[in-house]
Amino acid sequence: MLKSNNKYVGINNDINGGMTSIGKIIRDAWVFGVIPETQSCEGWELARIDDLLRKVEDEWDKYGFIVSNLPKELFLKHKEIHGAAFKKAKLSGWSGEQETLNEI
Amino acid sequence: MACFKTTPQEGVPREEVAAAVAAESSTGTWTTVWTDLLTDLDYYKGRAYAIEDVPGDDTCFYAFIAYPIDLFEEGSVVNVLTSLVGNVFGFKALRALRLEDVRFPLAFVKTCGGPPAGIQVERDRFNKYGRALLGCTLKPKLGLSAKNYGRACYECLRGGLDLTKDDENINSQPFMRWRDRFGYVMDAIEKAEVETGEKKGHYLNVTAPTVEEMYKRAEYAKELGAPIIMHDYLTGGFTANTSIANWCRDNGILLHIHRAMHAVIDRNPHHGIHFRVLAKCLRLSGGDHLHSGTVVGKLEGDREPTLGWIDCMRDSFIKEDRTRGIFFDQDFGSMPGVFPVASGGIHVWHMPALVNIFGDDACLQFGGGTLGHPWGNASGAAANRVALEACVEARNAGRELEKEGKEILTAAAKHSPELEAAMETWKEIKFEFDTVDKIDAVHK
Repeated sequence: MLKSNNKYVGINNDINGGMTSIGKIIRDAWVFGVIPETQSCEGWELARIDDLLRKVEDEWDKYGFIVSNLPKELFLKHKEIHGAAFKKAKLSGWSGEQETLNEI
Repeated sequence: MACFKTTPQEGVPREEVAAAVAAESSTGTWTTVWTDLLTDLDYYKGRAYAIEDVPGDDTCFYAFIAYPIDLFEEGSVVNVLTSLVGNVFGFKALRALRLEDVRFPLAFVKTCGGPPAGIQVERDRFNKYGRALLGCTLKPKLGLSAKNYGRACYECLRGGLDLTKDDENINSQPFMRWRDRFGYVMDAIEKAEVETGEKKGHYLNVTAPTVEEMYKRAEYAKELGAPIIMHDYLTGGFTANTSIANWCRDNGILLHIHRAMHAVIDRNPHHGIHFRVLAKCLRLSGGDHLHSGTVVGKLEGDREPTLGWIDCMRDSFIKEDRTRGIFFDQDFGSMPGVFPVASGGIHVWHMPALVNIFGDDACLQFGGGTLGHPWGNASGAAANRVALEACVEARNAGRELEKEGKEILTAAAKHSPELEAAMETWKEIKFEFDTVDKIDAVHK
């Protein structure tokens, strides 16, 4: 996912159609308006992604990290952004099964 | 008493091999030595008292051997194993040997410490009743910084899990030293407890290169207020396990037990030690949780034998039941039970079966089935919690979980977008691997 120089490839170029830890952070950042939805974070350094994560976490803290707790407007935005990402990831070959590989 | 599945070399009579196994695992050596005359060998030697066919397999047979209790030091699982699975496994007359089951007499059981707390005491400490506990192993297994690790822990606990777990590979590596991890994890627990009003925990892995180092880490966990720590009992060894279990009992800390290396020992159906023996030994040595396999999901384990060793973890008295691979009655007396931990390749669609199979006294651990949720860790945790509570409610109402699982989960998902997304994520998954170690077939 990260290039050797620790720059992020951007959510549009990420593996599994962006269904990765960093992809989830970016989508949540779009939901909360921390960054515009046009921002793919391509070329960002890892430390900057980490900083984005802190900002996203601060937003989630307001709602106890539970999607069902989001106000209606944010809930619908979350549904739209994550729903589209889910479809895109599936089309790229991602499945839930990959998430349970190699675990005991 | 012990039951060995014995595969002799060609042409060696069964009786001769069984007697040799009995001798080699007790008093015997390859020849008569003069010091034999100074001891009461008739009293101390093991005796092969029965031989049985192995159903469906002509290459081997069951040898039942009885040992006098005085061969073994009180409270020492180590001593028992040193005899029963010691040099005898390299015996030339044998092609293969597997310790299938052991009956520990109550007189020996009473000399062992057993689980530091046990199922009921753990429920009281966590104030959680009437359902299984929910857990998750944090991933990725290696490479996360301590702070991000703590955050993942918080998200899972905040979302609805009761417990999270260090991956067994995490000890104290350069990317995350144990002291840093313990601190951030305890911050996560405290924050999640305040926000949810529930008691939470995380298995802090204290497995270390030396027992002294384990004590040091355990002391620090206690100082921080951790309710539970973790040890890998096979790689760490039974002496270390018994020691840390005793420490936990003395200090009011729960002990989660992982079983890395078990498949090396228990997977070959003709050689090694069956997991039911390893499970009994762990209960005697001490541990409040033990990974047991899942039955459903992708990991090894037929349903009936798994239920057999789960009984060995939890029940006071387990009756001989060959359909479950139990060769002997086993009386654990008043020794507390161990929570079986179902972990590995499971997700929300498995919940109805898991509740049916394991009942309430179990810890259901969804790793990828939590962290792989497309909305993140907290949503994965929330989905699992809603699914579990829906299944328990349905079961308590008399519904058949494995038949009506889909309807039960679908109805619950109407009120939980997190569960709905989880069901969509995993709906196509089927695990159809065959198991290597099956219960021996019905007698021919």
